[in-house]
Amino acid sequence: MPAPVPFDPEAIVSAEYKERPVPEGVTTKRTICATCDIACNVVTEVRKGRVTRVRSSDNPIFRDNICMKGIIAPKAYAHPNRILHPLKRVGERGSGEWEQVSWDEAMTDIGARLNTIIDQYGPEAWAVSTSQWNTATDHGLGRRIMNHVGNPNWISGVALCAGNTAAINKLTYGWFPIGDFNNTKCIVLIGHNPRRHSWTPIYNYIRSAQARGAKLIVMDPRRSSNAERADIWLPLKVGSDVAMLFGWLKVIIDEELYDKEFVSKWTLGFSDLRQRVNDYPLERVAKLTGCDPEMIAKAARIYATQGPSIIPWTPITDMQRNSTSGIRLQSILRAICGYIDVPGGETLQGFNPDIINETEIEMHHVLSDEQKAKQLGSDAHPAFTYRAQTKFNEATKRVYGQEYANLVMGCYMATPSATFRAMAGKGPYPVKAFFFLGNNPLMSYANMPLILEAMQNQDLIVAHEQFMTPSAQMADYVLPGDSWLERPWLHDLFGWMSAVRLSEKSMEPPGECLSTFEFWKRLATSIGRPELVPWDDLESFYDYRVAKTGMTFNQLAESTDIYFAKPEFRQYEKKGFATPSGKVELKSSVLEDLGFDPLPYFREDPELDDQYPLLMFTGVREDGFFQTAFRHVPEMRARHLEPEIYLSPKQAGEMGLKEGDWVSVQNQLGEIKATLAIKDAMPDGLVRVPHGWWKPEMEQGKACLSGAHDYADSQLCRDDDDFLDREQGIPHLKGIPCRVVKADAPATASQTASVGSKKRVLEPAE
Amino acid sequence: MSGLFSKETRDEWAAKATMWMAARSSRNTTFVDRLCRRLLNRVTTRPPETDFMRDPLIDNDQGFDPDELDRYQRGES
Repeated sequence: MPAPVPFDPEAIVSAEYKERPVPEGVTTKRTICATCDIACNVVTEVRKGRVTRVRSSDNPIFRDNICMKGIIAPKAYAHPNRILHPLKRVGERGSGEWEQVSWDEAMTDIGARLNTIIDQYGPEAWAVSTSQWNTATDHGLGRRIMNHVGNPNWISGVALCAGNTAAINKLTYGWFPIGDFNNTKCIVLIGHNPRRHSWTPIYNYIRSAQARGAKLIVMDPRRSSNAERADIWLPLKVGSDVAMLFGWLKVIIDEELYDKEFVSKWTLGFSDLRQRVNDYPLERVAKLTGCDPEMIAKAARIYATQGPSIIPWTPITDMQRNSTSGIRLQSILRAICGYIDVPGGETLQGFNPDIINETEIEMHHVLSDEQKAKQLGSDAHPAFTYRAQTKFNEATKRVYGQEYANLVMGCYMATPSATFRAMAGKGPYPVKAFFFLGNNPLMSYANMPLILEAMQNQDLIVAHEQFMTPSAQMADYVLPGDSWLERPWLHDLFGWMSAVRLSEKSMEPPGECLSTFEFWKRLATSIGRPELVPWDDLESFYDYRVAKTGMTFNQLAESTDIYFAKPEFRQYEKKGFATPSGKVELKSSVLEDLGFDPLPYFREDPELDDQYPLLMFTGVREDGFFQTAFRHVPEMRARHLEPEIYLSPKQAGEMGLKEGDWVSVQNQLGEIKATLAIKDAMPDGLVRVPHGWWKPEMEQGKACLSGAHDYADSQLCRDDDDFLDREQGIPHLKGIPCRVVKADAPATASQTASVGSKKRVLEPAE
Repeated sequence: MSGLFSKETRDEWAAKATMWMAARSSRNTTFVDRLCRRLLNRVTTRPPETDFMRDPLIDNDQGFDPDELDRYQRGES
C-alpha cells in the first residue's frame, strides 16, 4: 500500500519544528523511510559517512511515525549478503552460478539482447514488474521508456493492492479519494488492520481520531487488534464484504439516511442502484455474512448519520473475486452519504500544479492505440487497463488538466495472470524479456507454478535488487539496487494527494549499488534512446520537476518536509466529476460500455470441495517484515522464526493439532508448510496464511529457491476463473479452499519455533 | 462449581466483572479502585519481549556504531 499519510494543513503551518540535539560528530538528514510503503518522515543520524540511527521526525506532526523496521534499517542495509556488484548468470537458468561484471558490460549486453527481442517479437514481448514505492526513484521513467518503444505490458503488485482501488474508484467519481483522518467522526476498517509497526501513521491517525471521540467500525472475520478497539465489530464471513456493503446500503436507502440533495444533483443511476440493493434484504445479508442483522443496521446508521465518515483504502477488498463491486460499493457509500470532498470526509485532491507529476513523466500519449490494444489481459479483464481507463481521458483533462492520471500507478496496467501466461507461451503473443525492479514476482502474484514456468521460458530476465530473492535467483542479470538511506527522494504520494514530500540523501551507496533512475537512464542509452532520460542525474531530474516552485530540489527539501497546495473542498461544483457524465456514476457508464454489469453485484463462493473443507486468507503482513522482504534481518526474524498459520481452538482440536505443530496447507494448486498458532480470535473453518515467506539462509537456485518452494503462499493462490475478479482479473485471496494436515518439521526448521502459551491463544489475530 | 454453569455464562460473568473493575480503575479514588487498577494492569500488561508497543528495539534505541556496521557489512561480526 502506498502512503496516504493524510495531514492537516493548519497543523503543518503551525508546527513548531525543533531539532533534537545530537552528539558531536553526528549530522542529521530529514528523510522519508522507504523500508515499507507507508513512507514515514524520519531523521537519519550520520557518523563517519554512514547512517547509524533512524529516529522519528523532529517535526511534531510526524513525531510518532516510526516502527521497528525503520529503526533497524542501518543494519538491515549493511547486511553482508547485500548485492553490491552487477552479477551475470553463468550456469543454466536458476543454477545459482554467477560472475561479477561491470555495469557497462551488463547494460550493453542487456540493451543489445532487448533490442533483438523487440526486433524479433515486437515491443510488446517485453514485460516489466515493479512499483514506485519499492524502487522509489523510478518516477515513471520505466513507463516512459516502455511507452516510447511501444510496450504496454507493465505489471505490478498494485494490481491487487491500492493501484486497482484507484482505477476502480475512477469508475464512480473520476479520482481516488483520501480520507481526512484529522477531522472525521467515523472510520470504517474493512478487514484492514493498521498496527503500531505496520501502517504506523494510519494506526496513529486512527488512535488519535478515537481519542477525540470518532467512532470505529471494523469488519473482519478475525478478532484483530482494531476489532478489539472498535465501537462495532462485524465478524463477517471471509470474502463477503460486498454482501455486507449491500446490507448497509439497504438500511441507508430504506431509512433515507443518504444525502438527498447530493444524490439528486450530482449522481446518476440512483433508482437502478436502489433496485439492485433491494435484492439484499438484511435477512439475506445476515445469512451471506454470518452477522447479526441488528448490528449490521446499527453500523450502517452510525456511518450515515454520525459522519463525516471515511472508509480508508483497504487491501482486503482489493483481493477478492468481487473486488470491483466491493470497491465500487465503498465509493457509492461515500458518495450517497455526502462525504465526497468535504472536511472530515474523502477528499479528491488532484495534481499539485507546481510539480511535474509522474504521469506526465510517463508520457502515455506516445503509446499508439494499436499497441495499447495489445495490453495483456485487457480483452477479458479491462478495468485497470488502457481499454477502460482511456475512456476517462476527456473528463480527466476537463477536471484535472491532463488526459492521463495514473493514480497509485494502477490505472494503465496489464493484468498479471495474463502476462505470466503469455510469458509461459500460452498467450496471444510471445513475451520473451522480463525485468523486475525492487520486486519479487514469484511470490508477489497468484499462481507461483505458472510464474516459474513463465520465467523459465524467457530469453532475458533482469532483476534490480538489494538481495538475492527467489525471483532474482532465476535472472540472467542481477543489478545492485540502492536503499532509501543512499538516495534523495521526491515522494509525490503516488499521485493520490496534491502534496509532495522530500527526502535528503544520507550516505553514499555501498559497492556499485545504483538507483532505479540510473538503471533506466543506462537502459535508455543501451537501447539507443538516450534522449528518453535526458537528465544528468537524479538531482537534476528533481530540479526539473520542482522548477515551478522557484526552488531547486535541495532548497525545497531544506525549506519543508511537505509541499502542498491548501486543499479546497467541493471542487466538483466548479468542473463536475472526472467521469464521462461529469456526475458520480452509481451506475458506471464505462463498465456498461465494456459489456459488464454497470452496477455492483455479489458472486457467491463456489461449492466447497469435500477434499478442501477449509477457507484460507493470505496477504497478511507481519510486523517485522515488508511483503517478502527483511527476512534476512536477525532482529526481525527473531520475532517471526517460522511462517505461522492460525486456526481457532475448536478447529485445531477437531483436527488433533496443537500449538507449534508443523502443518501442511494444501489445495488444488500446491502446498506450503508452516507452524500452527491457535488463536481464540479466529473463526472456525478459517485459516490465516502469512504472506511472502522464504528463508534467505536456505540454498539458492531453482530447486530450493531459498525455501520459497516450501513456504511461499503464492503457491496456494489460484487464478482460474472462479478465483478471479471478472472486471479486473485479479485473484481471490480472501477465502481460498484448502485443507490443513499435520506435517513433519522441515530439516531447516528452527528448534525454537514454538512459542505457544495459553495467554497467546487469547491475543488478537493480526 | 464450573460444572454448574455453561462456558457462555462464565464468560459473561467474567466480562461483567472486568467491566466493573475497569470502571473502578478509571475512577481511581478509593482503595478498591486502586486495587482494581493494579490488578487490571497486571493482567493486561505484556512482558516487554512480546509487547511491540513497548519494544526494547524502540525504547532503547541508541543507534549503531559506524565501525561495527562496517565490520558487519564485511561479514566480520
